[in-house]
Amino acid sequence: MHMSDALISPAVAATAGAVSLILLGTAIRKVGRESRDDTASLPRMGVMGAFVFAAQLINFAIPGTGSSGHLVGGILLATLLGPWAGLLTLASVLFLQCLLFADGGFLALGCNLFNMAVLSCLVAWPTVYRPIAGSGGSPRRVFAAALLAGIAAAVLGALAVTAETELSGITALPWGRFLLFMLPIHLLIGIGEGLATAAVLAAVRRYRPELLNGPQHAGPSRRGVRRLLPIIVATLLVAGTFSWIASSDPDGLEWSIEQVAGTSELPAGSDAPHRTAAVIQERTALLPDYGTSFAGIVGSGLLLAVAFGASLFIRVGRRQS
Amino acid sequence: MRERLTRALCRMDAVELSSRADTPLHRLDARAKLLATLLFLVAMLSVPLAQLSELLLYALFPLLCAAMGGIRYGDIVRQSLVVLPFVALIGIFNLFYDREAAFRIGTLTVTTGSVSFLSILLRGLLSMQALLVLILGTGFYPLCRGMQRLGIPALFTAQLLFVYRYTYVLIEEAGRMSMARDARSFGRRTYPLPLWGELIGQLLLRTLRRAEAIGRAMAARGFSGRIPDGLRAPDRWQPRDTAFLLGWTLALTLLRLLRPAERFSDWITY
Repeated sequence: MHMSDALISPAVAATAGAVSLILLGTAIRKVGRESRDDTASLPRMGVMGAFVFAAQLINFAIPGTGSSGHLVGGILLATLLGPWAGLLTLASVLFLQCLLFADGGFLALGCNLFNMAVLSCLVAWPTVYRPIAGSGGSPRRVFAAALLAGIAAAVLGALAVTAETELSGITALPWGRFLLFMLPIHLLIGIGEGLATAAVLAAVRRYRPELLNGPQHAGPSRRGVRRLLPIIVATLLVAGTFSWIASSDPDGLEWSIEQVAGTSELPAGSDAPHRTAAVIQERTALLPDYGTSFAGIVGSGLLLAVAFGASLFIRVGRRQS
Repeated sequence: MRERLTRALCRMDAVELSSRADTPLHRLDARAKLLATLLFLVAMLSVPLAQLSELLLYALFPLLCAAMGGIRYGDIVRQSLVVLPFVALIGIFNLFYDREAAFRIGTLTVTTGSVSFLSILLRGLLSMQALLVLILGTGFYPLCRGMQRLGIPALFTAQLLFVYRYTYVLIEEAGRMSMARDARSFGRRTYPLPLWGELIGQLLLRTLRRAEAIGRAMAARGFSGRIPDGLRAPDRWQPRDTAFLLGWTLALTLLRLLRPAERFSDWITY
């Protein structure tokens, strides 16, 4: 589920990053205000982040498949810490995974924050978990809420991954087939996540029921969600259109040349040498418009080999000195 | 299970150890390295998928930075391979959906789909390598400080440091719990969901108890909700940081705009 940098274009990364940063900024402001009254909230969030990190390393067996899954933790964190603090905590975990374990790309961090943290803590939790779980009284309701919220978060995440990859213009796979490929997998991941969250919450209920009771966390109130929603939708629309324009022509340089010169090919000179060169080029290059050629690849490879040799030399030199 | 926990600890130790080296790369300001890496990613990821030969040249960035930091590039390449399965899973469809001929080598026709598939793999590897060089050549604490000085709120960097610090503690705790379970389970290695829930639930409760204790201890020592900067004076931005950042900005801009690989191949073919 962690997206790699390979799958996104800078335009999509920038827009997803902007949306995530704005929401993260809001979370930081809200949590900062709370932590002024409650100094224990900062260590609590920190230790809970480390907990999610450690818990993700222990896999559970998925019955009947022989494979295993692990927790993502968005719904769990939102339930125990509240949605904003949950978002902040999960964001720090994703940051850490990216920087320490290179799990998910650095430029893709904005996308990953959105797909995993924002969609689970700020969308699936308030719209699915909270209404179903109510005040957290009945174990059955908590189970159903955790399961459905886990599924909702994973499916929304899959939709977002699909949209981001398609808008980046990376895959040749059409939208519909890509969704057909992503949704079933993420439905299963969501069921796993939901069951895992429910299992942990059941254990918490048994030993420390007060942690689940009552609306102790002032998450985005219903009015807050209503106020936030248009902003999210508008940003996504702008982001979508922008990155669609940016990537429907993948080469920004050609695009800007087209804007300036009115044509994407710079006009060839009409004099004789130019024409002869053009004829030669057409004979030698198979597809003159295509961006890469075998000679180009060989050339780049040679240069890299030289650079690698030089770098070895530098290192050996240093060791001797 | 313990293996994964141990491996994660080893990995964190390796990063910590490698970041303490004293090389030209390590001596640079974290902000310079962070910005150069971001610039590299933007330039590299904006190269169209069709231009595989240009993309190859971008390997110069991790290669040269690794050499500067005395980090073995072979290790970086090996570590970056983990990204391949996931990236290949998405990229592989290009092989089937995009079957126009791009160029021929002898009798072998290479399709545009296979070029873009290779490009996707290369993008994954290169972005991962740049990230690995950044973290191994900087270390987590300096990177957090650098981010904070670039404008990331202190509350968030403090949170990152908290998580980093307690990840060690909690991974060890989780390791002890899973060792206890493994010792009683006679070779059964999997964790069925109810058992897993109980185990993780216990870990969570211990975590929360620990958090309360830490919170009280910190309050007793005058913690006011902000982590102080520490005794070490913040790093000053040096001329060498400007040189590093400017040099790479120039190199990456030229590489992106001039497309040297294709010029080279045109030059050969003529």
